[in-house]
Amino acid sequence: MYVRELSLSGYRNLQETTLQFENTVNLFLGENAQGKTNLMEALYVLAFAKSHRTNKDQELIAWNRDYARVHADITKRVSPLSLDIQFSQKGKRAKLNGLEQQRISEFIGALNVVMFAPEDLNLVKGGPKQRRRFIDMEIGQISNVYLYHLSQYHRILKQRNQLLKEYAQKRMTETTMMYDILTEQLVKAAAQVVQRRLVFIDHLQNWAEPMHWDISRQLEELYIEYMPSAQVSLGLDLSTIEDIYGNAFQEKVEQEMRRGLTLLGPHREDLAIYVNKQDIQTYGSQGQQRTAALSLKLAEIELIQSETADPPILLLDDVLSELDDFRQSHLLNAIQGKVQTFITTTNIAGIEHDTLRQAKTFRVGNRSFEETSL
Amino acid sequence: MQYPAPISKLIDGFMKLPGIGPKTATRLAFYVLNMKEDDVLDFAKALVNAKRDLTHCSSCFYITDQDPCIICNDNHRDRSVICVVEDSKDVMAMEKMQEYSGLYHVLHGAISPMDGVGPEDIRIPELIQRLQDDTVQEVILASNPSIEGEATAMYLSRMIKPTGIKVTRLAHGLPVGGDLEYADEVTLSRAVEGRREL
Repeated sequence: MYVRELSLSGYRNLQETTLQFENTVNLFLGENAQGKTNLMEALYVLAFAKSHRTNKDQELIAWNRDYARVHADITKRVSPLSLDIQFSQKGKRAKLNGLEQQRISEFIGALNVVMFAPEDLNLVKGGPKQRRRFIDMEIGQISNVYLYHLSQYHRILKQRNQLLKEYAQKRMTETTMMYDILTEQLVKAAAQVVQRRLVFIDHLQNWAEPMHWDISRQLEELYIEYMPSAQVSLGLDLSTIEDIYGNAFQEKVEQEMRRGLTLLGPHREDLAIYVNKQDIQTYGSQGQQRTAALSLKLAEIELIQSETADPPILLLDDVLSELDDFRQSHLLNAIQGKVQTFITTTNIAGIEHDTLRQAKTFRVGNRSFEETSL
Repeated sequence: MQYPAPISKLIDGFMKLPGIGPKTATRLAFYVLNMKEDDVLDFAKALVNAKRDLTHCSSCFYITDQDPCIICNDNHRDRSVICVVEDSKDVMAMEKMQEYSGLYHVLHGAISPMDGVGPEDIRIPELIQRLQDDTVQEVILASNPSIEGEATAMYLSRMIKPTGIKVTRLAHGLPVGGDLEYADEVTLSRAVEGRREL
């Protein structure tokens, strides 16, 4: 898929504009604080109906404007599709081909985006929350059903935590029937979430391993593994996973009642990343960690393409300068002629690559965009 | 700008209703000013009477102006089945169907620890009380398919099953007359989960 045209109105500090893009590489050059990242964010918003930088939709609306609007005409497989999302004080409204979507979840995933921003370089080094977010966002793009199960899980979790908190406050030693019910509900939702995550990580591994092998000049073997909080593994059916989690909860019941918290489940699970059989979260060098993050992101492109039969668009926000020459050129080789890519950078001096020379280039200054040639 | 006290009081009154903001409230208030006095009086009386004369049925807790309510009083209804719902509005929805001839029990809520609502805070003890004699053969659980409604249904089924009374739950899945291709993925996946043998 690719974005043919993007229109912005009342969006952050950007001036009202309409831009046409190439189905190859689109390059945005400009100083800091001119609006490059805001443009990337606008494309991201079209895919996820929310920003990657903030949870407050209101922040997207320009100062002294009533609403922000992002509109795009894209080509999905062979057919054209128009996406439109508006944010106002009252909330957001999303349209596909001019038709308002009753549920925002119907809008999410119409456009698939893989974004690589400086903070993503911390995917390996950062906390487990960041890795869970990565997993959830990526599965969510390909599966509405996953998003549904995940939100159910989080709601049940809240109810169950509240119940356990009451137990802890009253120093109760026996559970009530509500504990059994909420645990049963939680286990059902957890099984759905964990089963999907196991499959996703297995698929991602298949793509990421050869990718990393290339980027590391045939030196490093990448292996990623989902770390569940109960003894489950890939290939088990739902009822078996439910039983295993059910038993795991039984063992934790006293501890949970004392602490007033749910101590296991997908909200406490993580992704382990190994290079040459060594855990690089703890032992890896900065460079290894960054390369692994890059491999996972590039693997994601392949994964989305294989699941939806259409390549996503790739957003590279200010990351070229963060990578060394070899990784830079590997990245540029990997995307050449394959996916529509949007790149922002402050300057391209020192980056000699055909991919950039052939790119459609925009100069970003004073919150507006001007087509230019290199 | 400042409205005269009587009208701003009226606007505040309308704003207490669900789904009504300042603009709609102002429009409604000015509309009331132009209505005939008799109509306004009738409207005001209707409001007060609805609040004053309606109570909950002492047996099923459906809203009623007589106790027991018309449904509980109706001798043609099947007393061996009770349909358990969260809200009086749900009774109306079931009645519109005109296919169900049993009795009801309105819980007035669902179990939700987050909101501080436990089993004792809704009409569950009263329901258990109603099941003490042998008249009831089946309890249909028709709480909403939300997390809380589902938890409430599970709670009730665990309470009632040991007594030997049949407990059933409403099915969920595809809407009637809906084409498969228009169903969203979540509804469809639940329909697949709840499939049955023909």
